[in-house]
Amino acid sequence: MSGEILIQQPGNSVVTDLGRTRGPRFGLPVNGALDQYSARAANILAGNLDNHPLIEITALDFRMKAESDILIAVTGAPLTLTVGGRPSSQWEPVSVRAGETVSIRGIHRGLRAYLAVHGSIEAETLLGSVAPDTVVGFGLQLKEGTRLLTRRSVGPVRQPYFDLPLFRLGLERPSMDSDLLVDVTDGPDVAEFGESGELLFTSEYAVSGRSNHIGLRLGGELPERTSSGEVLSRGVPVGAVEVPSREELLVLHRGRGVTAGYPVLAVVTSTGLDVLAQARPGDKVRFRKTTVAEATAAQRRSRAQLETLRESVNTVFGLLGIGCRPQWQDLPVAACS
Amino acid sequence: MPVLTAAPTEIYESGDSALRVVAISEASEDNWLTVHGLADWLENCGAEGLHGAVPTYDSVLVEFDPILVSARQVRAFVKLGLLELGRSAGPAAAPREFDVPVVYGGEYGPDLERVAEHQGISVDEVIRLHTEKTYTVRCLGAPAGSPMMDGPAFPKPVPRLKDPRLSVPAGAVSVAGRQAVIAPAVAPGGWCVIGQTPLSVLNIRREPLVPYKPGDLLRFRQIRPEDFSTFAGLELEPASMEPASILEVRS
Repeated sequence: MSGEILIQQPGNSVVTDLGRTRGPRFGLPVNGALDQYSARAANILAGNLDNHPLIEITALDFRMKAESDILIAVTGAPLTLTVGGRPSSQWEPVSVRAGETVSIRGIHRGLRAYLAVHGSIEAETLLGSVAPDTVVGFGLQLKEGTRLLTRRSVGPVRQPYFDLPLFRLGLERPSMDSDLLVDVTDGPDVAEFGESGELLFTSEYAVSGRSNHIGLRLGGELPERTSSGEVLSRGVPVGAVEVPSREELLVLHRGRGVTAGYPVLAVVTSTGLDVLAQARPGDKVRFRKTTVAEATAAQRRSRAQLETLRESVNTVFGLLGIGCRPQWQDLPVAACS
Repeated sequence: MPVLTAAPTEIYESGDSALRVVAISEASEDNWLTVHGLADWLENCGAEGLHGAVPTYDSVLVEFDPILVSARQVRAFVKLGLLELGRSAGPAAAPREFDVPVVYGGEYGPDLERVAEHQGISVDEVIRLHTEKTYTVRCLGAPAGSPMMDGPAFPKPVPRLKDPRLSVPAGAVSVAGRQAVIAPAVAPGGWCVIGQTPLSVLNIRREPLVPYKPGDLLRFRQIRPEDFSTFAGLELEPASMEPASILEVRS
C-alpha cells in the first residue's frame, strides 16, 4: 500500500538523493544531498536503500501532514522535531499516524536536515537521479500544497507505555559546531601556488553568505597563484579549493560546474564535504592536510558505522514486521499501539 | 574515438574520489583524442565503482566511489585503458554536422562591438571569421553540457569580461580566449556574447540532454533579427548526412 504526504510549510526543501553520478560525463554536476552521511543515515533508519529519494531541508522551518500511516527518520542539523505535537527523536525511526503533522523547527547549528520516509518518495528522474539541477531547471522543489506519494505505508508502531520513543539505535551523530575542521588533500595544481599554499592551513576562514550548493565562499588570508597564463578548461572535482578572485576562497560542492579554468589548490575529502554541507554563513573554517589514503580510511570508517546501523535496523524492523516481508501482516503490530 | 597511439600522460590525485589524467604530447590533437578515447574506454569497461570520466582538451577527470574501488585500482584501469587505445584502433564514428543560425550583435550579442574593437577589425569581419570556420566540439562543459570549441581565427585572444554577467540567456553564442561556445541554459557567464541562436540546445526530456557529442562538427550561419522568431522553439538537430561530410572524418 502506498502512502501520501501533504507539504504544509515547505521552507526551503527539495526531493533529492545521493546524486547524479552519470551527470558529469554530460556536463551536468553530480548534485544530490550535500551531507551524504546524514542522507544515507536517514534512509537507512527509514529502512530504505541509501540512494532512495528523500527530503533535504535547508535552514528554514518545515511542516508536513501524513495522509496515511508512515514511518520517517530525520537526521542532519540539530533541530526540534515534533510529530502530532509530541517531541520526537532525531536520528531514530519515528512512526507517524495518518492525519498527524510532522514539524521541523529551529535549525540553528548546522544548516541541512534530511527527512526520509519508509518506502521513499516518488519523483521524476533525470539520468537516473531525482536530484534537482538548478541550471537545467530540473527537480522537485517543495511548495505549500505539494502532495508526495510514498511507495509504502507502515502501520502505527508505538511504545505502549507513555508513548516513549520506541527506538534507540544509537548512531554516532556528526558534531555540528560553528568552528569547523575540514580535511583536504593536495590538489593537482598545488605547485602553482608555491609557498603561499601553506596559508590554507595556517589561516582561519569565514563562510560568506553567498555560499550555496554550488560552492562555499570563504573570506580570509588567500594563497596566491605564482604562475600565470590561461589554463585550459578541465574537469574539476567536487571539493576543489580554488582562488578565483582576490577576495575569497572558493570551495566547490556538489552543484559545481564540471569544468573550469582555475588551478585546484586542494581538494576537500568526502567526509570534509559533509562537514561543509552544514556550514552556516559566519561559521569559521580551518583546513587540515591529509592524504588520500587517510581520507579513504576515514570514509570507510564512517560507512562501516552506517553498515552497523543498517544491520540493527534490519533486525529491529524484521521483528516489528516493518517492510515488505511476507509475514508482516500476521504480526500484531497494532497490539503495540 | 580510437587513436593509434595514446599520447604520454601524467596522473594526478584530485581528492579521495577522483584522478586527473593529463596528456602531455606536443600535439594538442593527439592529446584530445587520447583523453576522449580513454574516457570512452573507461565508460564502457564496466569496472565497479567508476562513476564516469569528464574529458576536456588535454585532460580527463576520472570520478570513482572510494568505498568500492581504490585510487590505486583506478590508476591501473587508466593505464590499461591507455594501452587498449592503441589496440582498438578502427574506423572512427562519423561526426555529425550541426548548422546553427545566429543573430549577431544588438540585444542578441551585446559584446560584438567590444570584441571587434579589441581585435582591431570591423564587426562584419568578426562575423565573417566566426561563420567561416567549421568547429569541432572538443568537449561538453559547464553549464549544462555546453559545446566547447576552438575559437575562430581572430587576430588575438578575447579577454573575458571584467564583470561577469549574472545571467546569460540560453542560446548565447560567446567567445573567450581562443575558445567558442553556445550556452544551452541560462547561467552566469564571463565570456563575450556576440550573438544568440533561436534554436533550443538543451532538452531535459531527451538522453543525452544535448544533441552533439565531442568530435561532432558545428557551423554558425548569420540570420537577420527578424528571422529569430521563425526558428524560436525549434531544436538543434544534426543536419542530414551528405557523403561529403563523411570525407571529413578524422581517424
